Amino acid sequence: MSSIRWLLTFILLIVGVSVQNSDAAGPLNVYVVNYPLKYFAERIGGDHVRVKFPVAADVDPAYWNPDLADIAAYQQADLILLNGAGYAKWVANVSLPRSKIVDTSRKFKNRYIYTEEVATHSHGAAGEHAHEALAFTTWLDLEFAAQQAGAIAAALSRKRPELRNSFQSNLEALVTDLKGLDRDIQTMVSKNPAIPLIVSHPVYDYFTKRYGLNVVSVHWEPDEVLHNRQLRELKGILQQHPAKWLIWEGPPIPASVAKLKTLGIDSLVFDPCGNVPDSGDFMTVMRHNVEDLRRAFSVTQ
Amino acid sequence: MLDSFYIAWKYIQYNRIKTAVLVACITLISFLPFALQLLLHESERQLMSRAVETPLVVGKKGSSLDLVMNTLYFGDDVPELLTMAASDRIADTDLSLPIPMYVRFKTRGNPIVGTTLDYFEFRGSKMARGRQMAVLGDCVLGARVAESLDLKPGDSLVSSPESLFDLAGVYPLKMKVAGVLQKSHTPDDRAVFVDLKTAWVIQGLGHGHQDVTQLKDPTLVLKRTESNVAATAKLFHYTEITEKNMASFHFHGNLSAYPISAIIAVPYDAKSGTILRGRYLSKNETQQIAKPEEVIDGLLQNIFRIKNVLDAVIAMVTLATVLAVILVFALSLRLRQREIQTIFKIGCSRMTTAKLIAAEIVIIIFSSAVLCSVLMVVVRSVANDLVRMLFIK
Amino acid sequence: MIAISNLKFSYRIGNFTLHIPEFSVDKHEKIAVIGPSGTGKTTLLNLIAGIIVPSRGSIRINHTSVDQLNDAQRRQFRITHIGFVFQDFELLDYLNVYDNILHPCRITKALQLDPAVRQRARMLAQEMGIGDKLKRQASDLSQGERQRAAICRALLPRPGLILADEATGNLDPENKTRILDLLFRAVEEHDTTLLAVTHDHELLKRFDRIVDFKEFRD
Repeated sequence: MSSIRWLLTFILLIVGVSVQNSDAAGPLNVYVVNYPLKYFAERIGGDHVRVKFPVAADVDPAYWNPDLADIAAYQQADLILLNGAGYAKWVANVSLPRSKIVDTSRKFKNRYIYTEEVATHSHGAAGEHAHEALAFTTWLDLEFAAQQAGAIAAALSRKRPELRNSFQSNLEALVTDLKGLDRDIQTMVSKNPAIPLIVSHPVYDYFTKRYGLNVVSVHWEPDEVLHNRQLRELKGILQQHPAKWLIWEGPPIPASVAKLKTLGIDSLVFDPCGNVPDSGDFMTVMRHNVEDLRRAFSVTQ
Repeated sequence: MLDSFYIAWKYIQYNRIKTAVLVACITLISFLPFALQLLLHESERQLMSRAVETPLVVGKKGSSLDLVMNTLYFGDDVPELLTMAASDRIADTDLSLPIPMYVRFKTRGNPIVGTTLDYFEFRGSKMARGRQMAVLGDCVLGARVAESLDLKPGDSLVSSPESLFDLAGVYPLKMKVAGVLQKSHTPDDRAVFVDLKTAWVIQGLGHGHQDVTQLKDPTLVLKRTESNVAATAKLFHYTEITEKNMASFHFHGNLSAYPISAIIAVPYDAKSGTILRGRYLSKNETQQIAKPEEVIDGLLQNIFRIKNVLDAVIAMVTLATVLAVILVFALSLRLRQREIQTIFKIGCSRMTTAKLIAAEIVIIIFSSAVLCSVLMVVVRSVANDLVRMLFIK
Repeated sequence: MIAISNLKFSYRIGNFTLHIPEFSVDKHEKIAVIGPSGTGKTTLLNLIAGIIVPSRGSIRINHTSVDQLNDAQRRQFRITHIGFVFQDFELLDYLNVYDNILHPCRITKALQLDPAVRQRARMLAQEMGIGDKLKRQASDLSQGERQRAAICRALLPRPGLILADEATGNLDPENKTRILDLLFRAVEEHDTTLLAVTHDHELLKRFDRIVDFKEFRD
C-alpha cells in the first residue's frame, strides 16, 4: 500500500511539474479594445491570460486615442483582440503586428450593419464614400457575442495548444451563459415584439436587429438636461412612433426623466457595457439591462 | 639537411629583392584562386541567405525573378500589383502568416518598403535607436540610410514623386523618423520602412483633410445631400501627418482592394507550405507563389557560369607565372654555375648540391605558403564586408 | 706524398691528351708547376684531386690510389685530404668570412661542424690576419683578404695537400708575396704539402722545385 502511495505521489508530482512547465512560458499577454472582449478573454483564459485594457473608465473605448506608450504596449502583446466592424477608430491609423491581431467578428462580417445615421463624404462626383457608417456594438447581439468568444478561444488555443481543452471548457460555460440570456431576451420580447421604443443613441443596432425590436434612435446624452429642441424632435417622432419607453445608455439625470414623463415616456437604462462597469461584470450588467428592459415588455400596450 | 637550409637561408637573405619578387609571385598565384573562390562563395552565400530565409513569396503571375528581387532585395522593377485580398486569402487558409509588402516608392534614392510589424519580427530586426513605427506617417530607417542621410529619430523625410510631373498620383508625404534599425548587413539597411497604410497615403489612396461636412467655402463643395458631401479637387490634402490632423486621415473604399506588390508567406510548418504552394497551381490562377531560394539559385547558376571563365583565365595566368618562376630558378642556377663547380671541386656531391637548391626552393615556397595563409585568414575575416562593399549594394 | 706513374688522360672532346710517365712530390715539398696555357696544369690538379679520372696509369697520394676510388670515395678523400685555393678565390658572396671558412663542413658529412672546428676556423683567420673580419661579407673584403679567407677554408680540414691553381694570379705584387708567404708558412706550420700552378716567374725561386709542364705534353 505504501508503495502505491509513493507511486501516486510521484505521478502527481510529474503532472504538477508538467502543468507548471506549460505555464513556465507565463500567462499570455492579451490586449483588448473594449470591455466585453476583456470579459470574454478572462472567462475563457482564466489564469493563463493577463488581459490589459488601458482605456480609462470614463472614456468611450470606440473613440479613445492611445498615446505612443499605449501603442507600444499593444505592439508588444501576445494577442490583440479587436472587435471588428470599425470599432476603435484608432486601429486604422496605427501599426500593429497583423500576426497578433484577432478580428473577433470576422466570421460574421457579411452581417455587419451599415448605419445611415452618419453623413459620409466623397471626392468628386463619383468618388467612393468613407467607411464611417458601420455599426460596431456587435456584442449586443448575444449570438454574435458567442461567436466573438469562440474566436477568442480559437486564438488562445493556437497560442497555447496544450491548454485547448481548458479554453474550450471555459468557452462552453460562457456560451451557455450567453445563450441563456439570449433565450431570456427572446422570451421577453416575444410577449410584445412590436412595441415602439426610442433609444438615446444609435448603439443598439445589433440588439434591435437580433430581437426584431421596433426602435427609433435619437442622439441624446444621459448626463445632459434635455432642452426644448430635443423635446420638439421627440414630439415629432412620437407622432409616427408612439413609444412609451426611452432607453438610455447610461443613468439619465432626473430632470430629463421628469421632462420625458410629461410626454408620457418612461426611462430605462440599457448599458452597452463598452467599458468596465462600476460594479459587477458583463453578465451582471447584461442581466440588469434585461431586467430593466423587461419593464417595457411586461406592460401591455 | 639543416646545413643546406642554413646556406639557402643565407643566399635568400643576400638576394632579398629577387627572393621577395619570387615569394610575391608565388603567393599571388596561390592566393588569387583561393581568394576568388572564397569571395565568390561568400557572395553566393550572402545572396542566397536572404532567399533561404524567406520561405515563400506570392505575387501576380509573371516574372518570378522580378517578384523576388523586388520583395527581397527591394529592386527597382516593381512587379504587377496585387491587392490586399490576396493577403487575406492566405490568412484565411490558416497555413501561413502573410506579410504584405508594397515596395514601389522611393525617398532620396532609397526604397520605401510598406509592410507590417510582422516583417521586423520575421527578419529578426532590432532597433538601434528610437522606437518602432506606431502611427500613420512614422518611418523606420535602415542603418545605412540613417548614416548616409544623417537622420535620427525625430527628424523627417519626404517621399519622392514617382515622376517629374506626377500631378495626379504620388505626392510627397513628410514622414517622421520614429527609429533606426541595427545594421543587419542585408538590403534592409538601405530601406525606409513604413506601415502599409502610410505607403497608401503616399500613393494618395488615404488622405487627411478638413471635415468636409463642416465646410463653409462653397468652392470646396461639389454636391451636398443628406447623407453625403462631395468635395471638389480644390480641397487641400495634408502633406504631413501630425498629432492634430491624424484623426482626419482615412481611406476610401474597401481596404481589401488596396494595392500591394507581394506577400511574404511564412508557413506554420513544412506541410502547410506544401499545401499552400499547391493552391496556386491551377491554370486559371492569376497569382504565383515562388520559393525565393529556387529563383535566386537559378539566377546564380547563370551568373556564376562566368566563374568558369574566370577559372580558365586564372589557370592560364597561373601557368604563365609558374613558367616564369621556373625560368627565374633556372637562370639563378646558371648564375650559380661557378659556385656549384667550386663546391664540387671542394668535394660536394651532386646530391648535396641538389639539396642546397631544393632548400632554397622550399624556403621560398614555405614563405609564400605562410603569406598566402595569412592573406587568406585576413580575407576570410573581412570577406563578409568585402563582398558587401564590392558586389552587393 | 704524391706518386704518379704512367698517367694518361684525354678529354672526350678535342685533341688534348696529357701523358705523365712519372711524377712525384715529397711531403712538405713546395712545388711550382709552370707551363704555357693549355698544357694541362689545371688538368693535373684535377686528376690529383680525383675530380677527373685518368684513362690509364696510377695516382697515389700517400697510400691511397685515387684513380681506384669511386666517385663518392674520391669526393670524401678530396674534402678530407686536399685543400683547394683558386685564382678567383671562389668565396661565396652571400656568406660572411666565418661561414665561408666553415663552408666545407656544411657541404659534406665527412666533416663535422663541431666547436673544435669552429675554434680552428677562428684560429686560422687570426693567423691569416683576418680574425677581426669574420662577420663581414666576403664581398666587402679586399682581394688579399679574400684570398686569405680562401686559404683558411682550404686549411680547415687539415689537408695533407694544398692545390693552389694560380692562387696569386689576381693579386697585386705586394699581395702576391704576402699570400705566398702565408701559403709557405701554412705548409710548415700545418704539416702539409703545396702544389701550386703559377705564372708568376718572380716567385718561382721561393719554391723547392719547379716542374715545367712542357715535358708532359704530347
